[in-house]
Amino acid sequence: MEKYQLNTNKIESFITHLKNKGKVFAPHKSGKNSFKFNEVENPDSVVLDYNRTLNSIKKYFLPPREVLLSFSKKEYSFEKSTIEVEKKIFLGVHNYDVKGVLRLDYNFSQGNPEDNYLKRRADSIFIGVSYEPDEYHFSQSVGIPLHDTEGFDIYLEKNDSGYTISAITENGQSIVDGFDGFSEEQAAPSNHVQFKNRLKYNYNRLPEVFEHSWNASVWEEVSKRCVGCGTCNLVCPTCYCFDVEDNMDLSLLQGTRERNWDGCMLNSFAAVAGGENFRETLAERQRHRVYRKFKYITDITGEPWCIGCGRCTAYCTAGISIVEIVNDLCDEYEAKYLNRPVEQSGLNAARL
Amino acid sequence: MSKPKVAFFDFTSCEGCQLNKLNLEDHLLDILEHIDIVEFREAMDDKADEYDISFIEGSISTPSCIARIHDIRRRSKILIALGACATQGGINAMKNLHPIEEVRETVYGDDKYLFPTLPAMPVSAIVKVDYEVNGCPMSTPEFLKVLKSLLAGQEPIKPDSAVCVECKLRENECLYDRGMVCLGPISKSGCGAICPSFGQFCTGCRGLVSNADKNAMIDILTSHGITLDEAKKRLLLFNSYDHSQSMPK
Amino acid sequence: MSIAIQNFEAQELYYPEIAEISAVKRFTAKEKWFEITLPGGRSLGHQPGQFVQVSLFGAGEAPISVTSSPTKKGAFELCVREVGMLTNVLHSLETGSKIGIRGPFGRGFDVESFKGKDILIIGGGIGIVPLRSLINYVIDNRKDFGRLIIAYGAKSPDELLYPEELVQWENSKEIEYHVTVDQGTPEWKGNTGVITTLIPPLDLDLENTIAAVVGPPIMYKFVLMSLKTKRVPDENIYMSLERRMKCGVGKCGHCQINHSYVCQEGPVYHYPEIKNLQEAI
Repeated sequence: MEKYQLNTNKIESFITHLKNKGKVFAPHKSGKNSFKFNEVENPDSVVLDYNRTLNSIKKYFLPPREVLLSFSKKEYSFEKSTIEVEKKIFLGVHNYDVKGVLRLDYNFSQGNPEDNYLKRRADSIFIGVSYEPDEYHFSQSVGIPLHDTEGFDIYLEKNDSGYTISAITENGQSIVDGFDGFSEEQAAPSNHVQFKNRLKYNYNRLPEVFEHSWNASVWEEVSKRCVGCGTCNLVCPTCYCFDVEDNMDLSLLQGTRERNWDGCMLNSFAAVAGGENFRETLAERQRHRVYRKFKYITDITGEPWCIGCGRCTAYCTAGISIVEIVNDLCDEYEAKYLNRPVEQSGLNAARL
Repeated sequence: MSKPKVAFFDFTSCEGCQLNKLNLEDHLLDILEHIDIVEFREAMDDKADEYDISFIEGSISTPSCIARIHDIRRRSKILIALGACATQGGINAMKNLHPIEEVRETVYGDDKYLFPTLPAMPVSAIVKVDYEVNGCPMSTPEFLKVLKSLLAGQEPIKPDSAVCVECKLRENECLYDRGMVCLGPISKSGCGAICPSFGQFCTGCRGLVSNADKNAMIDILTSHGITLDEAKKRLLLFNSYDHSQSMPK
Repeated sequence: MSIAIQNFEAQELYYPEIAEISAVKRFTAKEKWFEITLPGGRSLGHQPGQFVQVSLFGAGEAPISVTSSPTKKGAFELCVREVGMLTNVLHSLETGSKIGIRGPFGRGFDVESFKGKDILIIGGGIGIVPLRSLINYVIDNRKDFGRLIIAYGAKSPDELLYPEELVQWENSKEIEYHVTVDQGTPEWKGNTGVITTLIPPLDLDLENTIAAVVGPPIMYKFVLMSLKTKRVPDENIYMSLERRMKCGVGKCGHCQINHSYVCQEGPVYHYPEIKNLQEAI
């Protein structure tokens, strides 16, 4: 694996170099205090030092809104939507977000491999960047340590004079090749940073907790503060549920069928036409959301579907924290099943 | 097939919703391809006896409003409430939070006996409302959506998710992260999060989602630095009627 | 875990096939029956219990159970209750109208494994719709199965579906047909009472009877209790669950019960699979 030194004053010319290789998408400042992935127009507007972007790069593969087909009621026919396969270079991706994409790869390739997703996902290059965890990141606890580079083609690790660039894959190497702005001198890595937030148990111990958490009191407790706005679903890099809706234009003869992101916290999500709602309460919905991240798919793949980005917590106006939920589950599990007084062990063992 | 006869009526309101429809310039001609407007005070003089679709703007706030809305309902196949006043009593319903005599006195002074008044009510408090278009002013995209559904013989879909959903789909920075507070988390979507998208916090003008937890919302507001009193005021701005209904008398 | 996505053959999942309504019949105030002809008159190729996504441009899509048996070649049949926006529009369509079809989707009844067994059909309300596919499959392959026992319950006599076939079931020597309505009318001479009242009197060869149960959500708990009392083994019970579905292909998430996508692993489940699945029944 080749390593190069990219000094700060050469970052813009490196981005220009990337732009010659394909469309480049990178984080930009958005609003007052936030960041957002956008296509790069001016290399000087790219921000490589950021806490998290509002949405993850999921939006490029599963867009928030997407036209599935355009129909004509008159002829009763439809036109397929065209999805161009094009080279996309994602610059400045945090490693948890690329893991999120790898998780989605599983969801959209298993069972019925989905054309829409896989076409958009094809020919993507991921250039990672190291980051400094804030109070919400907890990726280490879900098996994604700070410099895990799985999924990246190129990785940028911050150092005192810029970035150490590693070309990880052949694709990555071919992107780096031909750039003549690297420095001869290798710089020392920046100060070692650490996670400020963590789950009580490492992810590989969570299956036993979730095995016993269906009736935990946390669900009800959290639902008292939750207003069911769905933000936690919508900002999650591994949530992929969607709704489909037809929209007619004013001729009433033509229109489009669109899909948009949906969320299991929302009222209509599990309601059927007859009026029955199969997850009526916010407590049930919260449990479903968290089980989706830590149990249902995890039982099959062995990996948590939560990637520790902290978005659901950082963007929850009610201050509900997924780390606190999981830690409360761990506490309740310990209290009920592990720290039981010896004389009662027989009784509790039966419940296990 | 003859075009459906459509009428617009206004009750206690600023008539901003009707104006909002006239602002649909880009679509007006296309709309008129499909419907005959037979009554629309703000734009024309014609009148008819029966209507396929009646759009009602404004809240019910006087005894004469009640008689009139019953009459319109009788003559309408489909009746649709337009805008915050008609759908949830709107800003008008803030008066419901005060004793009605006090309100009368304040507004009309010595002439108060000439002006009988009632607590402001949504249209649905008096007659059956088939569909609603929310917002202050009513959301024009939603108005078009409802109209198109009805013309296509379909039941319009009623949104029941929070404004937050539309903000997230647009990838807006949350206003709470700009140091503001916003009613988006419990306010009904369908507006495309138009206010937050332009940096204006949501005031709940479209009413609240069906499972709105007002206490939890107040906790959110107060934990972001506003007083309990201010938090309640925010919630009541457009949703006093709903609140006055559940208030102990 | 990283998956080599280029190794997957991507499928176009969301494009319907344009079919035609070739016949319509009204059964009740709320239910209509539709015969659907696919292009070229080809068969749908479904199993009893599977569903299709009916696609109406401008109205959207909804999952609808196929009510005809795969033994009937050519056009297939749907029976639809008018209960929401899409079914409302569907009800307004006439013979000759075009409609979109995706599917068949999901898992139906495992008819191969039912061979040689007695088949007990328990259908409540529109639950009879997917079961009628199984009933006709058994009738058309009569020698492969033992007894065919049908227990059918509806709210009232005028809500009973398939009026002509009910007479045939009633008169057939090869079918043991039991029907009840919750609320009778002066003209109604049959049983009144909820569907579970039909179960205790049945004389069943317990080990050799497959029970196929479909009905409204509230019904399952009570029918399962009755079957338990009757000592029908859990392994012999199959049921079909209704959930909201948008895609039919295991992606959109609406139908999920815990880990299980009803559109993939259901709608027909073997009871032992869902017995301990929270939120299922």
